Amino acid sequence: MFKLFLKIATRYLLKNKLYSFINIFGLAIGIASFVLIMLYVNYERSYDKFEGSENVHRVFMDYLEGGEYVPGDANAYIVSGPALKEEFPEIENFVRFRRIRDLVVLNNNTPYDGIVGSLADPEYFDVFDHGLVKGDVNTALNEPYSVVLSTSVAQKLFGDGNPIGQSLKIAGDATVTFTVTGVMDNTNRNTHIKNDLLISFKTFYTWKIFENDWKYTWNQNEYYTYVKVAANTDVELLNKKIMAFVPKGFEFKERHHMEPIESIHLYSNKPYEAGTNGNGNNIKLLSIIAFITLLLSWMNYMNLSSSKSLERAKEIGIRKVVGGKKSQLTLQFLSESALLNFMAILLALGAVFLLLPGFNAMVGQNLGLDGTQLTALMPYLGIMLLGASLAALYPAFVLSRFNPAKVLKGQVQTSKNGLHFRRALIITQFVATISLLICTLMANKQINFLKNRPIGANLDQVVALKGQILDRAYDSIFYKDFDVLLEELKRSPYVAEVGCTGTYPGDDFSNMNSNIQLTFPDGHTDETHIWYNYGARPNYFNLMGMDFVAGNAFLQTAEKWSHNVVVNEEMVRFMGIEDPNALIGETIKFWGQDWTVSGVVEDYNHFGMKSAVVPIIIRHDRNTQNVLVKLDQKAITMAGVDKALNELEQTWHQVFPVSTYNYTFLDQKFQALFNEDQKFAKAFQIFTLLAILIASLGLFGLTSYTCIQRKKEIGVRKVNGATIAQILQLLNQNFIKWVGLAFVIAVPIAWFAMDKWLEGFAYKTTISWWVFVLGGLVALSIAILTVSWQSFRAAIANPVESLRDE
Amino acid sequence: MLLQLNNIFKWVNSGGQRIFLLKDINLNVNEGEFISIMGPSGSGKSTLLNVIGMLDGFDEGEYHFLEESVHSLKEKHRANLYKEYIGFVFQSYHLLDELTVKENLEMPLLYKKFKGSERKAMVADMLDRFNIVGKKDLFPAQLSGGQQQLVGIARALISNPKLILADEPTGNLNSAQGEEIMELFKKLNEEDGVTIIQVTHSEKNAAYGSRIINLLDGRKV
Repeated sequence: MFKLFLKIATRYLLKNKLYSFINIFGLAIGIASFVLIMLYVNYERSYDKFEGSENVHRVFMDYLEGGEYVPGDANAYIVSGPALKEEFPEIENFVRFRRIRDLVVLNNNTPYDGIVGSLADPEYFDVFDHGLVKGDVNTALNEPYSVVLSTSVAQKLFGDGNPIGQSLKIAGDATVTFTVTGVMDNTNRNTHIKNDLLISFKTFYTWKIFENDWKYTWNQNEYYTYVKVAANTDVELLNKKIMAFVPKGFEFKERHHMEPIESIHLYSNKPYEAGTNGNGNNIKLLSIIAFITLLLSWMNYMNLSSSKSLERAKEIGIRKVVGGKKSQLTLQFLSESALLNFMAILLALGAVFLLLPGFNAMVGQNLGLDGTQLTALMPYLGIMLLGASLAALYPAFVLSRFNPAKVLKGQVQTSKNGLHFRRALIITQFVATISLLICTLMANKQINFLKNRPIGANLDQVVALKGQILDRAYDSIFYKDFDVLLEELKRSPYVAEVGCTGTYPGDDFSNMNSNIQLTFPDGHTDETHIWYNYGARPNYFNLMGMDFVAGNAFLQTAEKWSHNVVVNEEMVRFMGIEDPNALIGETIKFWGQDWTVSGVVEDYNHFGMKSAVVPIIIRHDRNTQNVLVKLDQKAITMAGVDKALNELEQTWHQVFPVSTYNYTFLDQKFQALFNEDQKFAKAFQIFTLLAILIASLGLFGLTSYTCIQRKKEIGVRKVNGATIAQILQLLNQNFIKWVGLAFVIAVPIAWFAMDKWLEGFAYKTTISWWVFVLGGLVALSIAILTVSWQSFRAAIANPVESLRDE
Repeated sequence: MLLQLNNIFKWVNSGGQRIFLLKDINLNVNEGEFISIMGPSGSGKSTLLNVIGMLDGFDEGEYHFLEESVHSLKEKHRANLYKEYIGFVFQSYHLLDELTVKENLEMPLLYKKFKGSERKAMVADMLDRFNIVGKKDLFPAQLSGGQQQLVGIARALISNPKLILADEPTGNLNSAQGEEIMELFKKLNEEDGVTIIQVTHSEKNAAYGSRIINLLDGRKV
């Protein structure tokens, strides 16, 4: 029996190619989008999930900002971990990481850069439940100058040989040798704090690189600290106790705070994060879209199948007359549905395989359909099967319910309920698509708004050069050579200007200091607001096109270092001073020193356009971290950028033959700060298009249904003088009404969603009326086009066909 | 002369064979005639009626309607022609179920761009003429078959056509109702001078007409 059903089902699908195609295609789009999005969502949600990860929390600092504690930096103090463990028995273990910036590893004087590494306590292996492929977990990080490498770094450094016991050096201090004591496998380890190289924390206390760092005091919160609490601990209570805890010798207006490690990647975006984290809101929105597209495709399926059923009324009538039972007919249609769904799933999986590389490129991930990923999708497979069977049951029941006597007489039964149901489906589909459309338009508007917003500095053609000198120390001879480098660079015809700075707009936090203590010119000391400072050389401002509202840049001094600072306007406001000119020449105090304000620059966005302008102080410093080069527009237009970049690199290596070298275009790096949002907007766009496509297919189905249903009416009207245009109007006006209704429902939904989304931005574009109108109009035009395709055919049909009396 | 068919052929191709639906039909109809088309099932009666009504085309021959050459007219002109001069009556009435009697009558006028007041007057006149004023707000389902056909005829007449084409107008009615309808046709023909062409199976109904055309396998006999 079942075999027969399948045979008939296959024949039926083959006979109605367009219908089958639309139906299978629509379902496949829904399923494929769902699978793709969920792969991505699952990946993003898989960060920091390991055995016992639910008991691991990161300790960070809250700042007292204007009388209230707000989440501050992502890291804590060197003594935070030990103090907390001693105070709270719930804390079983802790691990601290001290990031090593611009890490360059030397193996027999061959430099390897681009490796991410930290100093770490030996408890790392316990807290992060990470084992070693080679070496002993219990001793690997116990001794100073021991390193643990990831398998990929070990492979890069030592090839296939055994790395254990091998020695290597780290650029910056050639006097010490490190011994490899372990190899860890980082593949499939998704974590917000990536480490390809771990150095035993004990190294820190004696290593020359850190000789100026505070080692036993509450200074310098540069330590990512993770604690493992005992299972069944009341984390909320512990958190409260930790927040109230004032350790001995702790005198800052801060407090410790814990957050679950599992939620860091998606929900934490603090200053000094260990890396760029994901965006939980975007992930939530994407998941919603995934479910919407899947739902839309099911609705579509129900719609199409039940409208198609009208054409099969006669078949059903005959089957019933010859003795087919309702249950048998239901089963027949169910097997058809099953076949159709099965094909759709196959098609969808095929599409996922084909689209995955492109999708990966778009979202910047390397997602695969391997075992673990598929297992993660299993719960959703249940949802998919449940939805598919519900979607399949509906048309099966509708079809098998037909009254044979009536259908055989040619009376197609048109149940009002059925029509209402389908209408509701279509309206729901359009509510979803119009909302998505409006959101897409808004997201694009916001990103364009941010892109075109003035930064307050001119980043065009500015290149930051950065490198590590490998063969010598950063001593006075180095500084002299560094000046030679600057002079040489300035001499290049491609270079308009050369400057030096610790950090620049769009850069990470590595050379930016955050502070919470500042004495204003009037003697008042503020300890409750965060402000930032970094060092730069005098020509930095000119090179960056930063305009002074008062005073001037620090003067070049013989010793290349003065106690001058330049502040931004926000800093002036922070100090409560009305006229920036009043601040020039005044003295402020921080870091236990006096500083004279030499100038005030216009506000600029240091941390990208997503965050607001913060109070910043720029110190006069003979910085060497970043050499900024402003390229000469004319010269590089003539010769090409590549040539200019080549020359810069040659100059660099002439002065520092043994060194690493990197360059970054500032504008690109600044724009990259909203790469995530751009990717998100793009993904949103694509899935919106798919949703529209699905909804159009549904509309197509419903129109064909209506056209069949109103065939006689159309005939009668035509015979009585109606023109094609009038028939079209008759058929289309209802759909237009529905789209209108959907629009009215969609507007507040989209408004609400976008309002929420925009909360994540410091600078928001306006939610303009035209976005809504445009979204509605696009949906309407698509609807009219889809509907007209069918209704036009119905309108031009010869009424003789529909009015035949037989 | 109202219309003239000269050597009309209509065929379909099926499986490499040409099957003739109409074969060499010649027909002259003068204004004021009442013609009955008769013949067994499948003899081409309805097809002929549709061709005359310009709802269906033909493959060969000439068709003149009020001095217009229908065979050389474009679809749009042809449609305008039948909309203006021809009214249709169907076996199963083909009233719109969602519209009341009054609205059903008004429907053709809407498509002919009559003003609201004119439409009202014409509908009222027609309701009056057919004695169905009391039924004007009822829906087709609330009427008997004969009453429905009455409305159908009223609708066909409302825009003053020169020709009424009726495809078995009494086919769904009992004999008493059928007789009533035929009497109405006769009255319309004799008193109002409306030309009528009807398709019928019944000799009795055919006798109401002034002329009978017999068809067999698409051919006049």
